This record gives sequence, structure tokens and C-alpha cells, in this order.
Amino acid sequence: MNFKKIGVIGGGTMGQGIAEMLAAKGLDVLLVEETTDKLNHAYSMIETSLDKQLEKWAITKAEKKLILSKIHKVTHFAELGTCDMVIETISEDLDAKRQVFKQLDQVCPSNIILASNTSTLSLTEIAGSTKYPERVIGMHFIYPVAKINLVEIIRGLKTSEATFEETKHFVEEVVDKHGIMVYESPGFVTSRIICLMINEALHVLGEGVASAEDIDDAMRIGYQFQYGPLEMADRFGLDSILAALERMFREFGELKYRPSFVLKKMVRAGSLGVKTGEGFFKYNKDGDRV
Amino acid sequence: MKLLVINAGSSSLKYQLYDMTDESVLAKGLVERIGMDSSILTHKPTGKEEVTEVSEILEHTTAIRKVLEKLTDKEHGVLESVEEIQAVGHRVVHGGEAFKGSALVTSEVKAEIRRLFDLAPLHNPPAILGINAAEKNMPGVPQVVAFDTAFHQTMEEKVYLYPIPKVLYKKHRVRRYGAHGTSHQYVSKVAADYLNRPIEDLKIITCHIGNGASMTAVQGGVSTDTSMGLTPLEGLMMGTRSGDLDPAVVTFVMNKEELSLSEANSMLNKHSGLLAISGSSSDMRDITDGMAEGDPNSTLAFEMYEYRLRKYIGSYAAAMNGVDVIVFTAGVGENSAIVREKVCENLTYLGVEIDPELNKVRSGDPRRISTPNSKVEVLVIPTNEELMIARDTYRIVQENQ
Repeated sequence: MNFKKIGVIGGGTMGQGIAEMLAAKGLDVLLVEETTDKLNHAYSMIETSLDKQLEKWAITKAEKKLILSKIHKVTHFAELGTCDMVIETISEDLDAKRQVFKQLDQVCPSNIILASNTSTLSLTEIAGSTKYPERVIGMHFIYPVAKINLVEIIRGLKTSEATFEETKHFVEEVVDKHGIMVYESPGFVTSRIICLMINEALHVLGEGVASAEDIDDAMRIGYQFQYGPLEMADRFGLDSILAALERMFREFGELKYRPSFVLKKMVRAGSLGVKTGEGFFKYNKDGDRV
Repeated sequence: MKLLVINAGSSSLKYQLYDMTDESVLAKGLVERIGMDSSILTHKPTGKEEVTEVSEILEHTTAIRKVLEKLTDKEHGVLESVEEIQAVGHRVVHGGEAFKGSALVTSEVKAEIRRLFDLAPLHNPPAILGINAAEKNMPGVPQVVAFDTAFHQTMEEKVYLYPIPKVLYKKHRVRRYGAHGTSHQYVSKVAADYLNRPIEDLKIITCHIGNGASMTAVQGGVSTDTSMGLTPLEGLMMGTRSGDLDPAVVTFVMNKEELSLSEANSMLNKHSGLLAISGSSSDMRDITDGMAEGDPNSTLAFEMYEYRLRKYIGSYAAAMNGVDVIVFTAGVGENSAIVREKVCENLTYLGVEIDPELNKVRSGDPRRISTPNSKVEVLVIPTNEELMIARDTYRIVQENQ
């Protein structure tokens, strides 16, 4: 497959990041959201992200213009019929994802790969809503997409060898990232390990062992993490962490996955991290710590 | 013999068709936006109307097929059939240490160019695409590669090594390679011919200043030092490239501004030079216009550019213990009278004296701009890298027949 035009469903944090990264690699992107408002918001967030890169001299004005010109706003699934691949990035809700894949299955020719950026859900279940489950695969990008050169490629039970090979080629040759192959299991590799670390940091915080600042310093400085576990949680979104932990707790049935009560309290209080301006730390609207 | 010279970029392909009996250009052109559904082919047959065609050209093999179609077209063509093309010459950016001159393409040569992808990740891969595409379209036709670095392979070890741990040279071949070699070689030869003096006796400083800029000390016809280094970032201040700076600036800024490797790379290659200082443009014409209008940033950008250029001329005069000829070439060198004037104004200690009237002359021919009294000949010589590649191709193909 000659990958030229890629559909990206969902204009949230991951959708924005993936769309921007693909456009920067020279691919045409059809970005899909339910409403024009949401679409315009996603587009303006991508613009903001490019402006920040411009300030850091990562790109030029001409490159910013070129990247934006590659991203096309779409509100109807029907327009995805001409895409060479579609990547779904909506929120981690199995039923909603199944609904999206069912629709995609009808719009896209049967040889087109349908990928999900899910971080915890079962690819087999998602693929179950389609007529051609062999072309459904997981492609889990890590935030921030432009900077992190790792993609988990997840095979569902019915994912074909050809689909896997094509996806691996796409990840390594077209978008130039490192792909690791993962067999389906809740949380795969990355989310399973990182969510547990975040959860443990929350226990440490809840038990009053150390302050949030010091816990983050310990891991950031001590083990060379870019962000400490609490700031990481703020950046992923505390609601997403909670959902991932609850799902793993349910699937594995092991106590170590039980979400910390601190996390539950924060989510109930609506302190979700960067996206609400406050989690364990405070953030401005550009997402920088204040 | 008729031969085709190809300069393949990742999404573009320039070509010129030569008749080597009189070195005349039969046609030239450009394919842009390769890989997209609206690629543009611009074809200019000598003495005929230019034609432009927009079509889908997804890769280089199709691009060359389209070019050959145009060359043999009944209306716009200049050839009866493709068989008339007896050789193809390719421009390749990086020849590493393996290529000290142009070479006939063999499978070993191609493998070596591939091995050099590491040193020129943006520029060598398209050259291989161009070579393969020409092979597919013209099977059996001999092909020659000419390297931007080859002319500088005569530099001595003391010149090309950097004073850093030697293991870096052994492991990664970190050293000075230089660039624009074909151009420096061409204009130094033309300079000797123009002056009617044997090149072996001359100390020439060639200034190739265009969007990218480099300077070479040519002594006895060979390159003894050049300003670009491992990559084309070193040396002179350029349109968007910084040229020389304290290497510690890079790590200092990366730390203070929390820049990644690619951000730092992009800052130095795309956001520096004239563009950074003027704050408005990377084009010398805009800078000199701004200076004429009294814009302080353009003036500063110009002054820095000129100062750094002049310092390099001084250092190469020192490197060769003298200078007989200074040559200006490429976009800025050929067209900006004020750059040449200001640079030469403070080279009187070398005995340089230019004639303001001669300096203002615009022409496509080699010309002298120094006065008869000047101790150093100052020349403006339009560069012609394609012709140089054509000559090398012609020579190498004949030698191998």
C-alpha cells in the first residue's frame, strides 16, 4: 500500500497529536469530529502546538503552513472512503469504539487497515463489530506523539499477518517510529506498567510518605523520567488513568490494579490535570506548569 | 555524443541534455512535487517555447520516463529517439572518502553511495532513486556519478581533521568533507583559462555564495581547504544557516531552552544566518534593499555577512601564504555588486583594488572586476555545475569504451 491519505477519527489530545505528526511527515490527513465546533477547536489546538514549535525553532513558518494545509476537516464518515488507512482515537469507551468501527467497516474498502489508538481495550472485541476483523489492528501512540518515537502494534485474535506487516511498515518506514509487537492483553505493555507506577505514586502520596513535588523529583531526577509520575498523570488526564486502572482491575482481578482513593477523589472533584488546569499541579492554558 | 545530466532531489528532478560535440545544451527542465498527484514538469528545449505539464508522478522512474517522452516529443522534443542518449551523469551530494573524483556507476559504486546515507541522510537517498530510475528507463546506457565532496578530497589530514577525540573519526568518519566541490573546481578552472595562466601556478580563493555559501582555497588546481565541514552548516554565514560559532553555544542553548536534538539542528540550519539577524528575510536582495532604506537589522545582517566572508578570505590567504585570484560565483556572488564591493574594500592590505564600474557590469560571462593595478585578480565567474558533470561523464564514458 502506498500510504498517502490517512483518516484520523477524534480530535482530542491524541487525535490532534497523531494528525499533526502525520501531516508533518507529508501525509494528507482527514480529521474527523462529530461537530464543526469540535473540529475547529482541534484544528486551532494543532495550530497552537505548531506555534510553540515555531518558537522553539523546530519548524519554519513555511513548514507550519504546509503542515496545516495537509490537515482537512471532515464531519462525515462517508468521506473516509478514499483513505489508505484510518486511525481511531476517540475516548476509551468500548461501545463507542465498536460503533465507530462498524461504520468504518461499511465506508472503507475491505483492504484498508482500520487501526485503533486504544491503550487498554480489547482489539478482538472492537473488531467484533466489523465484517472484516482481519484488517483491524491496534496502533497505540504515546503522548506527546511528535516526540515519542514508540508505537505499540497490537494484534487482535483475528488480525491477519498481512495487516500486521503493513502496519509495521507504516509505523517504521512511513512515520519513522519504532514499533513493538504486542499480543492482546489489558493495558498492553506501556499502559500496564506506567499506570501501576502512577497508582503506586498515589499510594505514596496518600500515605503521606512524601509531597507531590518530592515524589516527582524522586523519579524525574533519580531515574531520568521526563516527567514525574504525578505530572505524567496530570498530562494523561486523571480520568483516563482511572478508567485504565479500573479496566485492568476488572480484567485481571488482582488487587494491585485497584485505583488509589486519591485518584478517585480527584476525578470526582473534577480535577483532571492539564485539561482542567489543575490536577496534582497547576497549569496554564498552553499546558505549561505554573 | 549526447548525454543527460540529472540532479535528483527527494521530490524534484532537474535535467539538462547536452550535445558534447560543442557542449551545447539541447534542452533543460525540472520535475517538481514528485510523489503527489499534481506534479509539474517544466521542459525548455533550446530555441523553442517552454512547456509545462501537470500530471501524477509518484516516483522517480515515472519522472524520468516523462522527461524522456518530452525529449523525444514530436513538437517539443529535441531527439528522434531515446537511443541517441549515450550516457547519463548524476549529481551526488556526498562521496565520503571513497570518491576522489567522478565515477562510472557499478553495483559497488551504488553500494558505497548507500553506505554514505548516514552522512547525508537527506541528499544521498534521492540520488540512488535517480540512478535506479535512469537504469530502468535506459538500460545499458553508461551512467556516471559526480560528487559535491570529491574535489575537496585533496585536503591534507591536518586540514580535514577536527581537534576532537580521534576515535570519532575512526568510528563515524567525523571530519571536514566540504561541499559545492563541482562549482569550486569549475570556476577555478575557468579563472585560470580566463587569465590565460597555468592553474598549477595559481593561488585561488573561490567564493561560492548563494543560499548556501562556501569558500575554497585552491592551490595548484586542487582544493587545499574549504569552509564547509562534516555538514554544510560550518563556515560562512548563510541565508538561514549560522556558519561558524562556538560549539558550546549549542549545548548551552539546548540546556537553557530545553531544546531537543532536532530542534537545535533546525534552529541552526533554518532559523539562523541572514534570516535570524535581519528578522525578515534570508535573501540577500531583500537585505540590501532593507539596508538602502536604512533598516538597522538588515544593515547589521549585511555587515556580519560581509565581515565573516572577508575574515575567511584573510584566513585562506594565510593558509596559502598569498592569493593571486579571488573568484565570486553563485547567486549572491554573481549578482550582488555591493557584497563584492564591501568585501574588497577592506582587502587593500592584500593589494586588492576593484574598479567600481566593472563591478557594476551585469553579464552571464566570466569577467574581471579588479583594476590593472590590483595585485590580486578579482573575477566574477558564473558557475555551471551541470556542464562540469557533463564533461566528467563524457570523459569517463570515453575512457571506458
